[in-house]
Amino acid sequence: MFYKAFKLIFLFVLGTVCHWAFATFFSFCGLSVNMMLVFAIAMCTIVPLEAGYLVAFFSGLFLDFFGARLFGNNAFLLTLAACAVYALRERIDFEAVVPQMVTVFLLTCTVGISNSLLVAWFTSFSQWPGLWSLLGGAVVGTFFAPFVFWLVRRVWGEETAPSRL
Amino acid sequence: MSLRKKRPSKKPLPAIGKRSVWFPVLLLTISFLLMILPLEGFVLSVKAVLSYVFIPQVRAAHSAVKYAGGVHQTVQELLRAHQENYTLKQQIEMNNLLAAQAETVFRENERLAALLQVEPVHPWTGVWARVAYREPSQWNTVIIDKGSADGIEERSAVLSLEDGQEGLAGVVIEVTENTSKVLLVRDEDFSAAVMLERGQEEGLLVGGGVHPVRVKYIPLLTQVEKGDKVFTSATSSIFPAGILVGQVRAVREDSSFQTAQTIEVEPQVRSAAVKELFVISRRGRK
Repeated sequence: MFYKAFKLIFLFVLGTVCHWAFATFFSFCGLSVNMMLVFAIAMCTIVPLEAGYLVAFFSGLFLDFFGARLFGNNAFLLTLAACAVYALRERIDFEAVVPQMVTVFLLTCTVGISNSLLVAWFTSFSQWPGLWSLLGGAVVGTFFAPFVFWLVRRVWGEETAPSRL
Repeated sequence: MSLRKKRPSKKPLPAIGKRSVWFPVLLLTISFLLMILPLEGFVLSVKAVLSYVFIPQVRAAHSAVKYAGGVHQTVQELLRAHQENYTLKQQIEMNNLLAAQAETVFRENERLAALLQVEPVHPWTGVWARVAYREPSQWNTVIIDKGSADGIEERSAVLSLEDGQEGLAGVVIEVTENTSKVLLVRDEDFSAAVMLERGQEEGLLVGGGVHPVRVKYIPLLTQVEKGDKVFTSATSSIFPAGILVGQVRAVREDSSFQTAQTIEVEPQVRSAAVKELFVISRRGRK
């Protein structure tokens, strides 16, 4: 259990590093890449339910930590995204590349749009990054998704069915 | 490619029980509460607690990104160094070949000199040294990190490289056990017997301090042009013959009653550029 918890924390930290790197690099191109979401999705496809929800929640809190107007919106949306992945996991084979990419693309777009709506609803401010920024970020995230999935599976261990912590 | 699962899991997936439902609901409720609460009081406390977790993480992430940002530059430098290493290896092989040829020429020269009963030219031997100290008020004098313990003696000729070409840098004027003082060519107290590349005319090179380095006593009718090279002369008691000193920069127009002309020389080795020096051993010379 301790070993699995350590792996979980390691993957979370790795996700933050990747998110920071991509956010720094692609911000120059005007793209909003959400690598925390990609990591959260990848982890939810393999880790047990509670661990996956926790990771998604804290990944959201990590993103909220840098927000200025609203706190908790990303935690809310990433937890919802985790719910969606757990619902899909029983129906879709996430070991294949195409479902990984399609899921990441759709969820990135959904989370991006929902986030803007939530911010607008709660704070009356517009946080819309722009269609091309959102789509471009989603494409970049989608492109790197198979690698992230592979990395998460490699670190966590090859398991087709989740085990409890 | 179908999105449907192609093969069943090795282990059956766990059934979604009550625990699986209330846990995300709990997290969603917490995050919703965080959203609706004002950004002060409780939310600020949560942020403060999270800062203990996330700020070291952000610092680590920032350091990792910064480090990774330098990686491509390091790789680039490594590739350049690899290419440079390859070129230098080729140059070393070429130099070894030339050194072998030079050795043969030296031996031949010694044989012929012995037959003609003249002093043969010896190859330069000596030690490399670095500039250890430079007195700001005396820019034309440097202290090097080698001394008598390394075989350096007073009045030894000193060479240096600039733009890949060796040239006369100065002369050793003081020696201690581990350091030596070198008087550079530009110093007012420096002098050396030199000859011009064109016509082989000899003269006396003197340093000028803040003024240009000059070669005096060149016969009046000697044809000198800007860019002509100046070498040390075989008549010098300190410097081996054939060391490049510099190039002619200008010919001074002196008054008509003078019997010799003076030329200005741009030294091959600039005083400010001197870093590594080669001190020629006097033992290897006559």
